[in-house]
Amino acid sequence: MDLTDLKKSIESIIFISDQPVSVDKLSLAFPNYERAQIRKCLKDLVEEWDGLDRGFLLSEVAGGFQFRTDPKYSEDISNYNKKVRKFRLSRPALEVTAIIAYKQPVTRVEIESIRGVDSSGVINALLERRVIEIKGRKEVIGKPFLYGTTSEFLEVFGLKSLNDLPTLKELDEITQNLEPSITPETEIEESTTL
Amino acid sequence: MTELNKEYEEFQNPEPCLVKVQLFEGPLDLLLHLIKKNEVDIYDIPIAKITEQYIKYLEFMKVLNLQFAGEYLVIAAELSLIKSKMLLPKPVIEEEEEDPRAELVRRLIEYQVYKDAATDLSGRDVLGRDVFKRDYTDTFFEQEEEVELIPVDLWSLIEAFREFYKRRSYLWAEEISFESESISIDDKIEQVIMRLQEKPHLRFDELFDDCSSKFDLVITFLALLELARMDNVNVVQESPDSSILISYSGELAIGSY
Repeated sequence: MDLTDLKKSIESIIFISDQPVSVDKLSLAFPNYERAQIRKCLKDLVEEWDGLDRGFLLSEVAGGFQFRTDPKYSEDISNYNKKVRKFRLSRPALEVTAIIAYKQPVTRVEIESIRGVDSSGVINALLERRVIEIKGRKEVIGKPFLYGTTSEFLEVFGLKSLNDLPTLKELDEITQNLEPSITPETEIEESTTL
Repeated sequence: MTELNKEYEEFQNPEPCLVKVQLFEGPLDLLLHLIKKNEVDIYDIPIAKITEQYIKYLEFMKVLNLQFAGEYLVIAAELSLIKSKMLLPKPVIEEEEEDPRAELVRRLIEYQVYKDAATDLSGRDVLGRDVFKRDYTDTFFEQEEEVELIPVDLWSLIEAFREFYKRRSYLWAEEISFESESISIDDKIEQVIMRLQEKPHLRFDELFDDCSSKFDLVITFLALLELARMDNVNVVQESPDSSILISYSGELAIGSY
């Protein structure tokens, strides 16, 4: 099998998969090829699909590769297939997800102290949706659960990995949004740097 | 007060019994809203003014009969504490004392950081909302409730048959007897199994569809009881009031009886 064949074979595997296909899994399937060769094939495939300008794209998400539709056609897809009900994330769910994504592993109490409201219901809903999971217990009194994000989280938000998360807005930017005219005092800044 | 009236109108819902409306995600959200609305410096919050508005808001929510969580009151108490601290005459200057508002400001800013991060997340191409993948399965996004099937006990089964028999048997008020055509229970069992093999399950009443006499009803029911006793069929229902479903458990080949 030459490299063109390898590329097409990888393409067909991605095509039939409902989970992102990782280089790890592919190198198990093709033990006679170097990981670098597999990576090269993937890179070529992504570029080729990009260049084709089709209704879907080959995207790198959650540590693997996956065919995904162009966001332009989301309405048409929902109209065509009524079963494809829009995935809704409420504002509280987004807030809790964001806090967990950036501060993981994190306990419920820590999440609630940031939001100022009880968040147990939201946490349970996110656990059920498998966007977050329990990563362990914190070694403090009561041994509370520590929460973290899952690979489904990366898939849902189209992130390659957690490093792909945009950096949290700098404090200056935040305060500028809140109050455009006044510059913040430095002494408070220190305690709030994240 | 006019502004409050305006907001009252905005939030008033045509449905009178609507009790809980999420106006703000929480007390911090409300405070951030007030700070923005008043266009004040977050590092120099006019505590008296903001506290007044904050408490007015809680009262307003009360007027609307909206529930608000206890957390709102905690922050209200904190605001009052800060307010009183700021009103106290400063003692002889010792050291640079921390601004009583500093801790609250720190929390507000931290919360704002994550509010923005949440907005950013929502702005991405979300799978299942903006983009779709192959082999889209509902179960991934919609937690479709798995219906827990409960086994039906013998007495419920008999009760169901009693009801059914009462409703059905009037059809054959004048029993016509064809002695020669009466079927044995073993034959009936085979018939039932054959019908169950055609479909994933039969409703309890469907089981008696081809019955033409009271005798037939009874023997069909006896066949069902026998099959249930031998664990050859599963008799289940979704809830105590829903119809009884019978499915073949596949443990018996036709002809064993």
